[in-house]
Amino acid sequence: MILVEQLSKQFLDYRRGWVPAVSEVSFRCEPGQIFGLLGPNGAGKTTTLRMLSTVLEPTSGRAWVAGHDVVTEAAEVRANIGFMSANTGIYDRMSAWELVEFFGKLYGMTPELLRERMETVFDWLQMNDFRDVLGSKMSTGMRQKVSIARTIIHDPPVLIFDEPTSGLDVLVARVVLRKIVELRAAGKTIIFSTHSMHEVEKLCDRMAIIHKGRLQAEGVPDELLAAHGHDDLEELFFALVEKAEAEAEASHGGAADH
Amino acid sequence: MRLSNIRTIFEKEVRDQVRDKRTLFMVFVLPVLLYPILGLCMLQFTTAFEQKPRLVVMVGAEFLPKTPRLLDDRGKAFLPALFDTPSESARLGVETQPATSEWSHKEFRGAALRDGRADAIVIVPGDVAGRLEKESQSATIPIEYFSTKEQSQVTYLRVREVLARWKEQIVQERLERANKPASFVAPVASQATDVASAVEAGAGLWARLFPFLLVIMALTGAFYPSIDLCAGEKERGTMETLLISPASRAEIVLGKFLTVMLASMLTALFNIVSMAVTGFFLVARAGLGDGAERAVASVMAPPTVAAATWMVLLLIPVAMFFSAVCVALAVLAKSMKEGQYYMTPLYLVSLPLIFLTLMPGIELNLFYSMVPISGVSLLLRSLILGEYDKARQFSLFVLVPTVLYALVALRWAIDQFEREDVLFRESERFDLGLWVRHLIRDREPTPTGGEALFCFAVMISLSWFISLAIGGSGNPLIEMVAGHLGFILLPPVLMALLLTSSPRRTLRLNMPSVGYLVLAALLAPALNPLVRELGAVIDHLFPLPEARRELIQKMTGEIPNLAVGILVFALIPSITEEFAFRGFILSGLRKGQRLRSALFFSAFLFGFMHVLLSVYQQLFPATILGVVLGLLAVRSDSILPGIVFHFINNSLAVVTPALTSSTGGLGRFLFRDATNGLYNPIIVVLSAGVSIVLLGLLFRGLRSRAVE
Repeated sequence: MILVEQLSKQFLDYRRGWVPAVSEVSFRCEPGQIFGLLGPNGAGKTTTLRMLSTVLEPTSGRAWVAGHDVVTEAAEVRANIGFMSANTGIYDRMSAWELVEFFGKLYGMTPELLRERMETVFDWLQMNDFRDVLGSKMSTGMRQKVSIARTIIHDPPVLIFDEPTSGLDVLVARVVLRKIVELRAAGKTIIFSTHSMHEVEKLCDRMAIIHKGRLQAEGVPDELLAAHGHDDLEELFFALVEKAEAEAEASHGGAADH
Repeated sequence: MRLSNIRTIFEKEVRDQVRDKRTLFMVFVLPVLLYPILGLCMLQFTTAFEQKPRLVVMVGAEFLPKTPRLLDDRGKAFLPALFDTPSESARLGVETQPATSEWSHKEFRGAALRDGRADAIVIVPGDVAGRLEKESQSATIPIEYFSTKEQSQVTYLRVREVLARWKEQIVQERLERANKPASFVAPVASQATDVASAVEAGAGLWARLFPFLLVIMALTGAFYPSIDLCAGEKERGTMETLLISPASRAEIVLGKFLTVMLASMLTALFNIVSMAVTGFFLVARAGLGDGAERAVASVMAPPTVAAATWMVLLLIPVAMFFSAVCVALAVLAKSMKEGQYYMTPLYLVSLPLIFLTLMPGIELNLFYSMVPISGVSLLLRSLILGEYDKARQFSLFVLVPTVLYALVALRWAIDQFEREDVLFRESERFDLGLWVRHLIRDREPTPTGGEALFCFAVMISLSWFISLAIGGSGNPLIEMVAGHLGFILLPPVLMALLLTSSPRRTLRLNMPSVGYLVLAALLAPALNPLVRELGAVIDHLFPLPEARRELIQKMTGEIPNLAVGILVFALIPSITEEFAFRGFILSGLRKGQRLRSALFFSAFLFGFMHVLLSVYQQLFPATILGVVLGLLAVRSDSILPGIVFHFINNSLAVVTPALTSSTGGLGRFLFRDATNGLYNPIIVVLSAGVSIVLLGLLFRGLRSRAVE
């Protein structure tokens, strides 16, 4: 599972000095659930997920992934997560099989276990007909499948998907989403960021709306709608975003605007 | 660190590179094709150049005497007997013109030389035959040429040689007529014998050329793969995936580094092999060919087995160094294109360092041996020339620094890999004003490592300008004080005020505990006898040039009395150098680095400054004392104990000549070698013992501060 407490991250910018990208974000995700992080571009989704995957260090606050602290036990965290985003590249000069095998080895899997697991994953994702195709020759759909295979090869308990469908055509996006649902059924803890309300409605057990680096609301989608008196996620989303804009305007006089 | 991960990454990267057309071309195809083509072109160029005829116009040839003859029967060439070989005479054409023609006009001749109608013009005076017959007279024969044109210059030299031989024949005739032996005009004859065998002569050429090629090829071989492996990975969006894998940053960097190193070594090796094979063929061909081909062959002759072995062995540190530097630079780049921008300065810095081996008169010495790239190139040159004694003397001083530089570069690359702003840099429009404002607005209590290095660079370049400005003012003591205040004290103090929010913490302007002041005051005299012994060893290994020694003596001669000496050589340097090196630079280097590497690096910079501003022999004592001074500053968190140590250490050097010159009991009691200031053995042993205890205390930290 994932536990996030008051997580914040600031970046240094020549123009504006230290700029908060994520401010005091807290939430938790349970195994067997998909947690959706919904927000517009630049809201802080990617920064939050990068902190969870240990490539960025939080400025303040703490987070635990699969029982390990992301700062003090980064290596253990990395061993227990799979991370994928729509723009995660794959190596042009490696075949599907070689790429997945490479990451399996880095996860310390024994050759026998790795081989067995690779056969299972390649079957599950129906990748056997392009096992030996080089990355540079793959279609977008193939590339996404390879990315998923790479993400789950070591069977991690926690999976982090950063906008996994952005920029994909509808057919490929559908395959990706289906596979995520199947992974939930296998009992994984899944966190999933998107700017598509439709995807959140369809997939997520819990969700949070993030804007300007702050969580605007968090909970089960239906309960959130009820609590805020909206009957549609889209309306809720825009209402919260407008509210956040107004608050930012009031406190900074619009100074923090891009 | 897990070896299995490094191996997995290494294997993957090697496979990746083998599948890359560009790498394959650079490493394997280019050298195989390049050298045969190059060899062929060289042959053709040389032949084409040699066959271009040179034309000498001889004005007034009709005045030449009948004997000895200067021209052949047809008057179209010089007499072949005046040359070493007939083919040489064929390359120098002659055109005769009567003295009455337009060639007798100076302007016409000048124009003819300029537009190439003649390469040289010989003007035969009308009375030449008559003058040559009379023993009491001599004739002057003017030669005109156009020095801007190489062809004309060469022709002039050839004509001068021909005329000299012709002159010898005239002298012979005169001697015969006067019944004098030939030795009458040639009392002394010199005879030159070149003892270099054919192999050795070839080695001379190889020794200059090969280190150069080897180093260039090792750099080129490291260059492209490192950009592809680091910047390319960012550009393709695979970097994040790799960073989220369990492989640590150090494992990733090492895996990539080893791949780059392999590519670098293979590139260099293939180039050498291909060049040697081409050489074999050229030599074989030269056996049949004429002079031109033989000349090319002697340049391209393959190296001996011993030379080749040394090349392969020394390639390892060279490739290691370049690979580490290239990887570190390539990590900084966001894209392959940006990577290439970073690599251009690397070439610009490396090339002059390699060109050193091509320059005549540059020999391996301690200073060159520690300059990255140059040291290895010069060592390689010595080994190819078979100067094994010299190579043995310097090999450690070349190899240890080279490996150290490579390790530092590797450490730097790993550090870059751990920096978020390097890995996830968004492209930001660079604006100088904004950047300066950011430096001042977002300053932190202590400077960054980059600012510390920048401070060092400012100090060194300022020293250059200040010494130019005040040099030759007459008094070296005033120059020295001005220099210390101007370029050693001013930059760190100004930068601390401008770039840090706590200049006090940066420059360590704190009151230390009394314990550290006492420790510093005891440690300096305790270490002094050991410092002297070290100085004697260094002086034995790397003696100062006589000119330098005189310069130093002249400077010490300028000291009017002991008080001034202590002020100029002890008090002022101890304050300025501590502010700079233990204040600003050490504070900056410590940020984000381990204490040990910061200490050693600041000490090395301290030593390096002494090399640049004084003599290279000072590198060792200054660096070693720099570590002690750094430890004093860090442990006491104050600049003061360092100043005390530094002051006492320098004062002892100033006072010693006065002490040793006193023939009284004290001098005899203290010193066994008064001229070099070497202490008696008992004192040396005692000082070693005391130093170990004091250094141990310093290393552990005195209790009063250790609590913190």
